[in-house]
Amino acid sequence: MDILINLLPHIVNGLSLGLLFGLIALGFMLIVGVMELINLAHGSLFALGAYFAMTIINPDLSSWGAIGAWYVSLPLGFRYFLGLVIGAFLVALVGMGLEVCMRRTYGKKAEYGLLLTFGAALVIEETIRITWGSGEQFLPVPKMMSGAFIAGDMIYSTYRFYAAGFGAFMIFVVWLFLEKTPFGAMIKAGAHDSEMVRALGVNLTRLRLYVFAFGALLAAIAGIILTPIWGLRPHVGVDVVIPAFLIIVLGGIGSFWGAIIAGVLVGLVVAIVGAYASQWSLMSMYILLIVVLTFRTRGLLGKKSTLEN
Amino acid sequence: MFEKRTIQSLKTLLAAGAIVTLGAGVIANTAFAAPVPLVIGFTSDSSGQYANSGASDRRGMLMAIDEFNAKGGVLGRMIKTVHMDTETTPATGSRVAERVIAREKVGFLIGAVSSGVANAISQVAQSHGVVYLNTNSSSPTESGKNCHRVKFVWDGNGANFAQAAIKNSIGAYGKDVLLVTNDYVWGHNTSDATRKLVLANGANIIDEILVPQGTRDFSSVLLKIQQLKPQVIAVAVGGDDLKAMRSQIAQLGLGDKYAWVNNQQDWPDVYGLPADNLFGVFGTTWYYGMELPGVDTFVTKYQKAYPDNKMKVPGNVFYNGYWATRSLLETIERVGTTNNHAVIKGLEKLRIPAEARMQNHDAWMNAKTHQMQQTIYLATRNANPTSDDDMFTMLSYAAPEKVADSGAEATCELESFADTPVYTP
Repeated sequence: MDILINLLPHIVNGLSLGLLFGLIALGFMLIVGVMELINLAHGSLFALGAYFAMTIINPDLSSWGAIGAWYVSLPLGFRYFLGLVIGAFLVALVGMGLEVCMRRTYGKKAEYGLLLTFGAALVIEETIRITWGSGEQFLPVPKMMSGAFIAGDMIYSTYRFYAAGFGAFMIFVVWLFLEKTPFGAMIKAGAHDSEMVRALGVNLTRLRLYVFAFGALLAAIAGIILTPIWGLRPHVGVDVVIPAFLIIVLGGIGSFWGAIIAGVLVGLVVAIVGAYASQWSLMSMYILLIVVLTFRTRGLLGKKSTLEN
Repeated sequence: MFEKRTIQSLKTLLAAGAIVTLGAGVIANTAFAAPVPLVIGFTSDSSGQYANSGASDRRGMLMAIDEFNAKGGVLGRMIKTVHMDTETTPATGSRVAERVIAREKVGFLIGAVSSGVANAISQVAQSHGVVYLNTNSSSPTESGKNCHRVKFVWDGNGANFAQAAIKNSIGAYGKDVLLVTNDYVWGHNTSDATRKLVLANGANIIDEILVPQGTRDFSSVLLKIQQLKPQVIAVAVGGDDLKAMRSQIAQLGLGDKYAWVNNQQDWPDVYGLPADNLFGVFGTTWYYGMELPGVDTFVTKYQKAYPDNKMKVPGNVFYNGYWATRSLLETIERVGTTNNHAVIKGLEKLRIPAEARMQNHDAWMNAKTHQMQQTIYLATRNANPTSDDDMFTMLSYAAPEKVADSGAEATCELESFADTPVYTP
């Protein structure tokens, strides 16, 4: 019984961590699924979103006189909302720019796309360093979401549960978008057979542009939600790419629910191993990947390719 | 047609002209050519866990070099620098050291924050006889079992800081001590030093939580801490890992619930963080707010050199980078040569008055371990700051001999001079 009581906080913690991992992987999954492109700039877009949001939430408007003073006096909750929406939208525009650069690599070896997104990641990270400096930054959150609460004899972070709840909400929104809208249907069809989609009259070029922008937007939202927990520095994106990649491979490339289940599974494993053998906590996600891929090479919910029949 | 005599004269004239031209060239080369610059290699991190500290370290080194170049260099030679990113990775550190020695022909190597990287660089430096200054890594092993004749360590180490902090904390808060350790060389060695002190003071280690490098989510660790209910938590976590851990501790409000003892708190790791992220006590070797002669001038000089830097005041990492470089160049001037054996002997005798180094006690180089012996300060968050930069309150300070790392002398075996290749850049 004592073991269960001790384990319970770690299971709750693992579920919240898993939802956050799922949020990180969403945009990555979308781009890999539709465009068959591993976007190595995903982490940098994650960081860029957080920096944009930070600037919108807490800008230096000392030279703007009364307008600056008025803006800064607005409630933090409102500025946070603006940061979340505008920051994510700006990163979506950056994502569109990146997709335009990608076009010459379509239909060529995968290495071209990989190298281009890797280069973009370096450029974005360096731009962040030049613009905002290399030091640690701080993304403020509204007071109602910060602080801690006590449950049993344990203290939990309020923001963490807000973040996990928001992660669950975003997962639901993306699912709704993919399953219940015509554009979502086009994205799924594009992921399954892009040439057939083109033959049916869908503008594939525009579809790819929007998908990339949507993936970048999701990366930015994940960055804005997660950096108050993980901290904000130019290379924070590096911490994101590997778990995101791992989760979509574990879940099965292109599978929405696969990515979500894998995210929750990774969160649970990392949290529980972190509690009882903390030195193995990071390693545990890789071991999980090896174990799953040993028995299911396409990941948890990955579908068999038609070429394999 | 020329007569034979005329041809002979012409040959003589040409030969004379050639000799004059050649001679003039030689004279010009010897008399008017500028001395060959002295090249110093910066081996500091630009990426990875210690990228931010690495940048601060470099700024310190550059300011010292600029001071010397402004007065004509060292021994009449201007100083050039070359930097390669060591990526907070030991393997890269080795590769970078080999490369800058072999290709760039550097005379000296300076820079480190990660102890693993410093150890890797120093092995390469020793094999070539290149003097290497470990500016900011603070694992006790750097001046203990991993010491080298060519390596000089400028920061206080985990054992120094633990001695300054642990005894007081056990006396004030209780005997149940939990260790939280970054799972790499510095973390383990620092926690080992802490463990010895804890046990020597009659307290108990109730558990040790190992934190892998690169950890960003500390929720499991913080839940585990709450379940273990320690009285004192001795933390040996550094760089970006510590930043993430601090902000998560602050979110939970655990900063005031336990007695946190952070071994050393590097300025670049905390600069710009909200005040509630700074909790517990921690060690440092220098703080810009200390009321000591020369501090204000030093801060002004920094601000003039780096007016656009987001870090508006220098911290301990910058300070160590600056003093290591300055002391090296002063030593070269004092011994009158860049020959490595002479410079090493000069550095082994180094002693710097407290007022010059802006500390409370004189500092000196331990010739047996090659670690700078210096004043160690205990600090905590400033509850009443006068500006955003006014983050620390200094609680106490200890003389170098009171916090000496006795274990280092027992384990350090410096190579003999005969086993250290002669190198004269």
